[in-house]
Amino acid sequence: MKLKPTLSRLSRLAAFGALFAHFVHAPAGHAAETPAVIDREVLSRPLPGLSAEEEERFRRGRSLFRQSWVIAPANDVAVDGLGPLYNRLACISCHAKNGRGGAPDKPEERMQSMLVRLSLPGRNAQGGPLPHPAYGDQLNEEGIPGVPGEGRAHLHWHHKQARLADGTTVTLRWPSLSFSELAYGKLGKTLTSLRVSPHVAGLGLLDAVEEKTLLALAAEKKPDGVRGTVNLVYDKATGQPAVGRFGLKSNMPNLRQQIAGAFVGDMGITSPLFAQENCTAAQTACAAAPHGGQPELSATQLDEISFYLANLAPPPRRASDSPQVRQGEAHFAELGCATCHRPQLISGEVAGNPRLSRQSFAPYTDLLLHDMGPQLADGRPDHRANGRQWRTAPLWGLGVLTAINEQRGLLHDGRARTAEEAILWHGGEAETARRRYIKADRTQRAALLAFLQSL
Amino acid sequence: MNIPFKPGRRRFIQGAGLLGLNLAASGMPGALAKSAPQTVTVVTSYADEFVSRIEAAFEKAYPQYRLRVVWRMPNDAAPYLQQPDHGGADVYWSASPRTFARLARDNTWRKLPIDSGALPRQVGKTELGDAAGFYTASEIAGFGFAVSPPALTQRGLPLPADWTDLSDPRLAGLIALPVPARVGFAPPMVEIVLQAYGWQRGWALWSEIAANAKPIERGSTFVTDEIAAGRCAIGLSIDFFVNSAIANGAALSFIYPRHTGLNPAHIAVTRNSPNPEGAAAFVNFLLSLNGQKLLAHPDIRRLPIRPDAYAGLPTRQFNPFAAAAEGGLQFDSDAARPRLATSASLFQQMLIEPLAELTPLWRRLQAAEQAGKPLPEVRRLLGAPPIDEAAANDPALHRAIGLRLEGENPAIPTPQELAWGETAARNRHAARKLLDEAGA
Repeated sequence: MKLKPTLSRLSRLAAFGALFAHFVHAPAGHAAETPAVIDREVLSRPLPGLSAEEEERFRRGRSLFRQSWVIAPANDVAVDGLGPLYNRLACISCHAKNGRGGAPDKPEERMQSMLVRLSLPGRNAQGGPLPHPAYGDQLNEEGIPGVPGEGRAHLHWHHKQARLADGTTVTLRWPSLSFSELAYGKLGKTLTSLRVSPHVAGLGLLDAVEEKTLLALAAEKKPDGVRGTVNLVYDKATGQPAVGRFGLKSNMPNLRQQIAGAFVGDMGITSPLFAQENCTAAQTACAAAPHGGQPELSATQLDEISFYLANLAPPPRRASDSPQVRQGEAHFAELGCATCHRPQLISGEVAGNPRLSRQSFAPYTDLLLHDMGPQLADGRPDHRANGRQWRTAPLWGLGVLTAINEQRGLLHDGRARTAEEAILWHGGEAETARRRYIKADRTQRAALLAFLQSL
Repeated sequence: MNIPFKPGRRRFIQGAGLLGLNLAASGMPGALAKSAPQTVTVVTSYADEFVSRIEAAFEKAYPQYRLRVVWRMPNDAAPYLQQPDHGGADVYWSASPRTFARLARDNTWRKLPIDSGALPRQVGKTELGDAAGFYTASEIAGFGFAVSPPALTQRGLPLPADWTDLSDPRLAGLIALPVPARVGFAPPMVEIVLQAYGWQRGWALWSEIAANAKPIERGSTFVTDEIAAGRCAIGLSIDFFVNSAIANGAALSFIYPRHTGLNPAHIAVTRNSPNPEGAAAFVNFLLSLNGQKLLAHPDIRRLPIRPDAYAGLPTRQFNPFAAAAEGGLQFDSDAARPRLATSASLFQQMLIEPLAELTPLWRRLQAAEQAGKPLPEVRRLLGAPPIDEAAANDPALHRAIGLRLEGENPAIPTPQELAWGETAARNRHAARKLLDEAGA
């Protein structure tokens, strides 16, 4: 059989692999010097100071995060219950090396680490998006054998040139979306929103920021027309409204619910917080398929994976003493970026976890919603977030993603291939900062980008 | 004249319209109007970082096919694939030679749709496929030592070159040892030593190595974790875990000992595959030069089964074909396979269960020997296997222990196995008595 060449893919991988040109081994009795050029585990390490017992717990959570889930029924009862409808098999499918996902380059390529949210205009009983009656609130492209996947989403890229004040041009791309193989009827006039998976390091610290801190941040008077509001969402554990902080529209109140939501939404794994399989009334084969227990992810497993993610150390800064990076940090403040991408947050008290308690840390986010302008608008409200608002993306880790993830796209839909492209897509409350960037000279821009690369 | 970038209003309306409301109602763009890709269902136990990359590359090379991955450990994969329709599976792709052989006996596979003459059939003494042509290796992995050179240097210890070096009492507590009865990749290591040194000497060596070891009950990265954390300086492992860790930044090295062997990971097509053409495409992709080169990815790091896939890799890259040509890799994995569960159970009963008791006895013996008081009978007793090799090769015994390694009945030792533990206990008791009498 003739094989079609996969040269472009292979050359990309080869170039990627060249970063780690240490596929070497020692002959018997001789050790090779084998330090990798770039440490790809940088987002996978625990906060310092775990006890031996905590370290074991961290590892158990890590195993679950790396686990490929199994179709029920199975002998592996602890990890069965995939689907019946799902996007990917494992958490690391979308968060490879705990890093960030990306968007496919071509319409026919599958979304390996991104997804499409769906809803109808209106709100559900908790004030969140109104799920599509046949497809729910997320397109699950995959189904276990016997259960048709919901359909396929395709990204089509469009391009344009952006010109900076000094004449530099930057090619920008933006996606449009289409669907095929829809298995449960027409979508009709459905609101859609793309999501590229973010990296997961440092989430425990973000979880530990007190609500009152976020409310105070929202109340602060800010320059350049920047506002910033909190989302108010539904805490499934307490049944009460809560300030949102996770999800690209801050639609999840805490890390535990965010994890449980991803399990059920992305992998079809039920948990104590989301006890229902993700089958709609139209999906009869889905509803009839065997499940992997009720719930499929036990409370203990949810605790362990929550512990793991809460205790992942934030990405460390690099080259922060470099004059160019320091200069870039100053420009970051001068341009107004730091108004939303705040360099410092302080966590509250976390019972039994001094590593997360009363910590000052630098995520470069305020966890607030901001109007990002019409170009980034998805037109899909989510609780109090309107169709133009997005949570300020944490910038920590931005500089290590290139080394970790081959497929990398910034912003919610992965359109930005570089930090500069991401800046140029900013609008709305960030319009002033974007304009300042456009006017900045080449040296200033290079310094700013070097600073971002150091995060 | 420079015109600063301003988002075009028309473009915005176009973009927002495209995104906010989907295009499904109006059909697909022309590029996608062709028929939907056909599904190729692959059952595997490979980690997602491996599977996802193969999936992306395969679908790019063969856009007419789409992979559906059904993830199951070998113990779960076998009953799944033994269903009349194989659970809809077209391909089984996994690192479990035992499962491939077992399912071949059950007539689960069809003849492989490949030109078998184009690929090597053997590396050293490791067969890459079955003689009947139902399955073949898609990658191979070798066994050896993960080491932290600085941790050894600090203690004035040399780098180990072979298994015998691991019995050095200065390595006490410094060897991470994956428990063969618990960790899937570990059983062949037991047999590598037994084949290399013989039954009696091999078990004696394992006993002394175990006395230096910290047992690791789970596999994957847990061995390298112990070394990275500084708790151990050497870890017994299969190469790709360590090489991937190294490629990801771990300050480790991997040493292939002089006596080592390979574990082939196979691929097969189900007899009633619903998509045999797609299955053939997947098998051929994996075995192609392009497919084999993907194995060098930092998160995969398996050894290609094609000699030509080593061209272009760093010269210090371990090349099993070159090692075999120089007389290495004499471990016969096919010969060892029937006995793997038995030797893993012996290891458990003789060494792992009583490790807390065994270790101080070895320390006392080694101290006496260093003091010039050799105690050969004590040494014999501590290293004596509970049964001889002929008994261990009994097919009835293999059937009785049978599927233990595949995760079935994991916690219920047979009376025979318990008897091995009792024999080992009597040996330890006798050894202790002799040590006491010698004042050691």
